[in-house]
Amino acid sequence: MDDRWILSRRQLLKTMAASGALAAADLAWWEEPLVRPRRAWGAAPVRFQFSVPEPKRTALVESLAQRFNQSQTDFEVKVEFVPQAQARQKLIAGIAANNPPDCCQVWDNWVGEFEGMGAVEDLTSRVRDWKYYKDVTPIAWQTVTLKGKILSFPWVVTNDGVYWRTDRAAEYGIKPPQDDWTWDEFMATARAFTKPEKNQYGFGMRGQGTWAVLYATEFMYAGGAQVLRDGKVAINSKEAAEGLDWYLDLFRKHRVCPPSVPTDGWRGIVEGFGRGITNMYIHNSGSSEEQKDFVGAKSFATVPLPLGPGRKRVSFYFSETLTGFKNAKNREGAWRFMSWCMDDEPKFMYCKTLGLLPSRKSLADRPEFTKDPAYQGFIKSFPFSIVSPYLAYAGWGGKLDSEGVPLFQQALVGKLTAKEFLEKFAEVLAKNMA
Amino acid sequence: MARSDATVAVALPRPLLSRRARELATGYLYLVPVAVCLGGTIVFPILKAMHMSLYNHVLFKPQEYGFVGLGNYARLLRDETFWLTLWNSFVWVFGSVALQFVGGFAAALLLHQSFRGRAFVRTVTLLPWIVPGVVVALVWEWLYQPNYGVINDVLLRLGWLRDRVAWLSDPGLAMPAVIATNVWRGVPFFAIMLLAGLQAIHDDLYEAARVDGASVTERFRHITLPLLRPIIIVATATRVIWTFNYADLIFVMTSGGPANATQITSTYTLVTAYTNLDFGYAATLSVVLLVIMLVFTVLYLRVTRGIESAT
Repeated sequence: MDDRWILSRRQLLKTMAASGALAAADLAWWEEPLVRPRRAWGAAPVRFQFSVPEPKRTALVESLAQRFNQSQTDFEVKVEFVPQAQARQKLIAGIAANNPPDCCQVWDNWVGEFEGMGAVEDLTSRVRDWKYYKDVTPIAWQTVTLKGKILSFPWVVTNDGVYWRTDRAAEYGIKPPQDDWTWDEFMATARAFTKPEKNQYGFGMRGQGTWAVLYATEFMYAGGAQVLRDGKVAINSKEAAEGLDWYLDLFRKHRVCPPSVPTDGWRGIVEGFGRGITNMYIHNSGSSEEQKDFVGAKSFATVPLPLGPGRKRVSFYFSETLTGFKNAKNREGAWRFMSWCMDDEPKFMYCKTLGLLPSRKSLADRPEFTKDPAYQGFIKSFPFSIVSPYLAYAGWGGKLDSEGVPLFQQALVGKLTAKEFLEKFAEVLAKNMA
Repeated sequence: MARSDATVAVALPRPLLSRRARELATGYLYLVPVAVCLGGTIVFPILKAMHMSLYNHVLFKPQEYGFVGLGNYARLLRDETFWLTLWNSFVWVFGSVALQFVGGFAAALLLHQSFRGRAFVRTVTLLPWIVPGVVVALVWEWLYQPNYGVINDVLLRLGWLRDRVAWLSDPGLAMPAVIATNVWRGVPFFAIMLLAGLQAIHDDLYEAARVDGASVTERFRHITLPLLRPIIIVATATRVIWTFNYADLIFVMTSGGPANATQITSTYTLVTAYTNLDFGYAATLSVVLLVIMLVFTVLYLRVTRGIESAT
């Protein structure tokens, strides 16, 4: 054999390194190659603010922006990554200083606040002529519609469900939760899952952050309560107090939750489950992909929230939006980028990578979502999902965090009764109905 | 007759400023850069905060922006959370500083002795002070973690605990837990300051006292303490002011929770400004913080000067 055709070890390593670099430059999940003709000079910049709750998203969004920049020659998206904790403040400061980004990604509960400042671009007429308008589920449009105006694109949507450990249920001989399970069954399952001697607890309740109050509210709704009734705050009703008492007692009385609950935020509940401390927790589909890495795809599943005493239940439906601003320097570029993100491939990849559900029916019907057990709890919750009642007033967004959560924590640690908490909370809501 | 070229002395015009005034002006001119820097970075922000405190300035409600006079101060008097945070600040500051001082003094006395490896121990003692506050907070948050934290694990293994303790989630334990962290961080500051003071005391004084038959306690009381007093005063005053304004540790470890159990006035100001985006009220809180600290400093210096002159 001719020696010239034999690869030395060094050549082999070089070839492997070169192919590795090429593969890294391309994106494994993308159908088309990354290398494309370069953009034309003079492409107008588009400032896109993206709030980052976890590092995984940074790479994903950076590659989406690159892909958009290479798909056309008119605009160049520049992503401004902001830690999630500072995103709202940074946006509001930008709006107040008349220097907002051209567009941003934010949760729907903030959009009202920006609209209250008169800062959000009204997309209604443009969206109605947009090619996928009818493909987006009506409830998704509801999350971004305020006073009849469509203010954002619902990029991805999700609702709440219960994550539970399938492997541990089998190990302890626990009856798997069914889609129509009740509060009593939820309690029985949580108790059976609780093994303090093994440092395992039945339910990872959230005690910090906005959603601590939202999850509790879902239980109040299952008990027949409502936040607003006939235009007035009604969260201090008897049904709400009973529902909340039942929920809080999971931690206070029945001790099926870990002791860290009052300071457990989003990271706390997700990690608690991932590390095997808790065997159930409530969250949206956003942590499903993470749990596949933590506990393994076969070791958990999701199920809808349990039915309350009157066989009622709700799951709050919300969206991660793409929102543009009136005073943006490049409104056309913002529109082009936002609508491009709603196209099949970018949207599919964003949703699938992060475990969130597409707001467009044609994509949500793909088997990657409908057949995955990790999504079942959420898909089956769609029929009784409602838009979060706290989206009703722009003034409620920030108050939930700054006043609602500390009050909720006081109820959690027994400094306030459920009724006292609800009276004070109702007062806060009533004061900020603007 | 030859003409002589006589020079006639011409009186110089009288300068606008006298020599003394010119010298004075030159001196002040040299100070202008510093004055501008201090004015721009200290005086202006304080005046701006005072100005803001008189306005209703909620960032996301620009239409409600306007002068409210002392309205924010009146609101502060009625604000239960503010009074709670003031009490929490008192516990936080005096709990932290007192324990830091005791620990720091003990460490300084120990490090003042000559023993093998003293340089290494001195360096190690300084470590908690070198580590950034946010990192300290994250590390201790993890140590305190009730479900998989090291502290619970060790105490359970030693049999000193029967159940896991939620150090940061229990309103009764959260404040002592964050104070303990702050003590850990602040001990080196006192240790180094006091050690420097100890090293400046001449051995002859101790020698003379020893010859006169003074006991260890008497030498400590009559030599060490009086000569360290100026350093103790400066270090304690500085630390009290720092701790009062120090928000990072609590903000990262508990965010002021649970149920405001660790909410101190500086974290409350931070939340008011950056969560509620209520800059008018946050400025009011800052002005009140400033006044409290000014009053404390004046009183503290007056009292300690009194003690000093008495001794």
